Amino acid sequence: MDAAKAPDLPSKAIVWLLVSFALLLVPQWDRLPWWLIAACLALATWRWLAQTGRAALPGRLVGTLIMLGLIAVYVLTVQGRFTVETAASFFVLAVGLKWLETRTSRDFYVLFFILCYLAAVNFLFQQGIVWTLLNLAAIFILLIGLQILNAPDAPNVMAAGWKRLGGLMLKTLPVVILLFIFFPRMSPLWSVPLVSGQAKTGISDQMDPGSISNLAQSSERAFRVTFGGEIPPHRDRYWRGLILDRFVNGRWEQWQIDARRRTGRVQSDGGVGPLQSGEYDVLLEPTYQPWAFALDGSEAISDNVEETAAGTFRFRRPADTSVRYRMALTEDKRESAFLSPQDRQRYLHLPAEGNPRARALAEALDQQTNSDLALVQSLLTRFRQQPYFYTLRPPEMPQDAVDTLLFDVQRGFCAHYASATAFLLRSAGIPARVIVGYQGGSPGADDEYLIVRQYDAHAWVEAWIPGTGWLRVDPTAAISPDRIESGLRQAVAEEGSFLENEWASAQKYGDVAVVQWLSLQMDQINYEWQRWVVGYQGQTQMNLMSKLPGNLSMRDLGYISAGVLGAALVVAGLWTGWRHRSRKPRVPALRLMGEWQRLLLKRGILAETADTPSSLASRAAQQEPVHARRHEAFARAINNHYYGSGSLSRDDHRRLRGLLRQLRRSS
Amino acid sequence: MIRSQGFDRKERRRTPNEGNIRRRWRGWVDRRIPLSDEQQFTQKNIFILPSGAGLVFGLLLLVMLMTGINYQNSLIYLLTFMLGALFVAAMHQTHRNLAGLRLSLVSAGEGFPGDHLTFRIRATAEKDAFGIQFISPEGETRRINVVPGEIGEFELPVPARQRGPVPAGRIQVETRFPFGLLKAWSWMRPGSTGVCYPRPVTPPYETGGEEEGVQASQPRKSDDLSHADLRPWRQGDLSQRVLWKRFARTGEMTIADWEGESGEPVWLDFNQFPGADRELRLSYLAALVESRSRAGQVFGLRIPGLTIEPDQGSAHRSRCLRALGLCGFEKHVAEAGVAAAAGGESVYARAS
Repeated sequence: MDAAKAPDLPSKAIVWLLVSFALLLVPQWDRLPWWLIAACLALATWRWLAQTGRAALPGRLVGTLIMLGLIAVYVLTVQGRFTVETAASFFVLAVGLKWLETRTSRDFYVLFFILCYLAAVNFLFQQGIVWTLLNLAAIFILLIGLQILNAPDAPNVMAAGWKRLGGLMLKTLPVVILLFIFFPRMSPLWSVPLVSGQAKTGISDQMDPGSISNLAQSSERAFRVTFGGEIPPHRDRYWRGLILDRFVNGRWEQWQIDARRRTGRVQSDGGVGPLQSGEYDVLLEPTYQPWAFALDGSEAISDNVEETAAGTFRFRRPADTSVRYRMALTEDKRESAFLSPQDRQRYLHLPAEGNPRARALAEALDQQTNSDLALVQSLLTRFRQQPYFYTLRPPEMPQDAVDTLLFDVQRGFCAHYASATAFLLRSAGIPARVIVGYQGGSPGADDEYLIVRQYDAHAWVEAWIPGTGWLRVDPTAAISPDRIESGLRQAVAEEGSFLENEWASAQKYGDVAVVQWLSLQMDQINYEWQRWVVGYQGQTQMNLMSKLPGNLSMRDLGYISAGVLGAALVVAGLWTGWRHRSRKPRVPALRLMGEWQRLLLKRGILAETADTPSSLASRAAQQEPVHARRHEAFARAINNHYYGSGSLSRDDHRRLRGLLRQLRRSS
Repeated sequence: MIRSQGFDRKERRRTPNEGNIRRRWRGWVDRRIPLSDEQQFTQKNIFILPSGAGLVFGLLLLVMLMTGINYQNSLIYLLTFMLGALFVAAMHQTHRNLAGLRLSLVSAGEGFPGDHLTFRIRATAEKDAFGIQFISPEGETRRINVVPGEIGEFELPVPARQRGPVPAGRIQVETRFPFGLLKAWSWMRPGSTGVCYPRPVTPPYETGGEEEGVQASQPRKSDDLSHADLRPWRQGDLSQRVLWKRFARTGEMTIADWEGESGEPVWLDFNQFPGADRELRLSYLAALVESRSRAGQVFGLRIPGLTIEPDQGSAHRSRCLRALGLCGFEKHVAEAGVAAAAGGESVYARAS
């Protein structure tokens, strides 16, 4: 790169660079601080104004000040958190600042590299097919910019550039696909958290009484499920996520993060083999949390999930990208019908004070019934018969929330009722825990899979019944059977509160057939994309490979990848060589002609530019009559070649060589 | 090949070993790329390597691959493979960009020491050849785009330092199109040389020959053509020597070569400066050629091995100056002739 010699950057190339930058910012818009986006746009605009001569680029001092200022703001915003997300925003900042320093083609390349990497960073956060296409489009545009930079005044460079790039992409596509399939997916090398804090909507590891009703306002996708067999009915689709077993300050939390883990059964074709009946595949959107969602009585099939002691499932690290895992429904209850004294204590623990009326009610229920199961049933009956309402707009319950809900307002959401139920059960001496997860899910296009959205988030209770084990107790089912039978939309239909703040969501307009159809088709395309392309990772790859003959190992895959690459290079090389060969035959005639002329020159005959082979031959013949016929034969052969058949056959070539040899020898 | 002095000096400054390697490399390249006014690039003489940007790009791909591995991100793998494949494909593109190119030297320049001689080079291509850069040994750069069916022509200045033939040296021809990540290059080594005339030095005196005033040899403005040789106009004849009256009458441009009282034409002779060394004599002669030509005089030139009959005009002037410039370099004249002959190939090539 000759920075010194490089001319001013051509505007045509700068434009493409700017467009690409703008496109690459789009996938980041919701995670970048607003000031950063504004600053980037301002700096890029400044660069463009300078390009068109309407502004000057800042001098060194001003440039440094701007840089220091923006970096200071960045440091204040980030506050020392180091994650990929903050690194990514620093990256964006660097690109923005680089605009002011883009003067030479070297700078252009620096921007090109940074923007390429920015596209890769975007893939960390967004993997939908639309985002992918957007990123790739930005890369294409960058490459067009590079072509223009390298031949700014070439005719028609832009249209030819698109064509050339498209051609290159098509030609390399087979290699790219083969590499994608065979390149060994190694395990991560190091670990830097992708994001800081809770950037994502989703279930958290605490449950305030109001927490889940926030989620109910979001139609974002939580996960999608494909069943090998029949899709279970709506009322049975309880997706258990995590267990909250500690009640503190009116809030349910996890007592401890489960340390003991049982690994799931690992089957070799867990990830991609055809789904067996009773199995199901879950494609989870990134939650940045370690827990996986599974139906009651599931076991892990794929080895990326592990079962905890409490019967929930976890990933080894937070799901910061979309994760695909496979589970199977089993009939046998693996939970032993035994609760250790420590666990019993844990599941009975309540704060010493608070909610006195609820405690009294629990006491009363305990006395009325003779078994734990009967108590649970009488509690549910109470919820069913008394005027409790299921609403997304419950009143505030700041003090003694359980008492207020049960006896005063009697209006609440699933989280309120689950919290109250667990409290009552514990007060009555029955071990109980709150389960947070999702309930339900709506069918996707062609009913092939289920889409579970954030508004399907749900909380319910499990109670320990001696001899039975953990029993699901869902007060919401008693209060609002619609919620469990057909989902939130029906449950709050009268209230009209379904997605009341989400104007843009297609789910809100579920009754408009076209919107619903389009939304489901888009979702299906995305689902397949996520399953087969985005989700093509370690185990999935090994599973696919196990289908090929020869039981390929990771190392074999490496060899195959190298082989693919090598073969591609050889094929491309041969192809280029062949193309050149087809053009070659004309060169020998030229070479012969040159040799002849040199030979004549030695004898004092200079070939003028205007000489034809014949005129040269006649001059040569005058000079050395002995060889007259040879010279003439030579000239005739050359003329024949150029004006006759147009090709110099192997025989001609040999004959001419022979003539030259004779002429040379005689001198 | 004639190496310029500057080049040799540069080489001597290096360590012997390094110089040796360089010399070998150059020798190898020179064998691959023969001296010729005509250059067609093929696999045999095109070199290709990643450019600086290409190396950084390779590093970037590595970093992207690491990111993909670390975050188990299929799409980053995909992007990396796409860009990597594109890099390899670009290698062929860049190579092909140069491979179809044909160069021919149209003319090598002439001039006095200190001048820049213009080497005119013509480029044709069978398919698009964009962003082709020509770099002279002095670092002069020209950039052209060639499309099939069109002729790209450009001039490359080569400084003339010393009297004699001036080779263009190795003209580097390189391209980084389309993406600038790879650099394909080769050289063109024109066989024809430019000519550097002797530096004109006005002689302190003139001996021998005819010392006549400028006035004396001026054509007489007379209608009496009895002492004049009439001949048709040739390129290079000064316009004041055309018999315009005759032109008005017959429509033919006629020149009168006056003899009459002015007697013999002026002969500039190598031997007329006894005592001066050869270079100085040639310099004197160059100065005389210049002054005579400016004055529009008829003169002839005698140097060892060559006699140029008396004539006048700009073609005559350059012929004389060229002869002075090449005096003592006859071997190279012959070589230049070979190169010129080789240049003739292009005529046939185009005819085919």
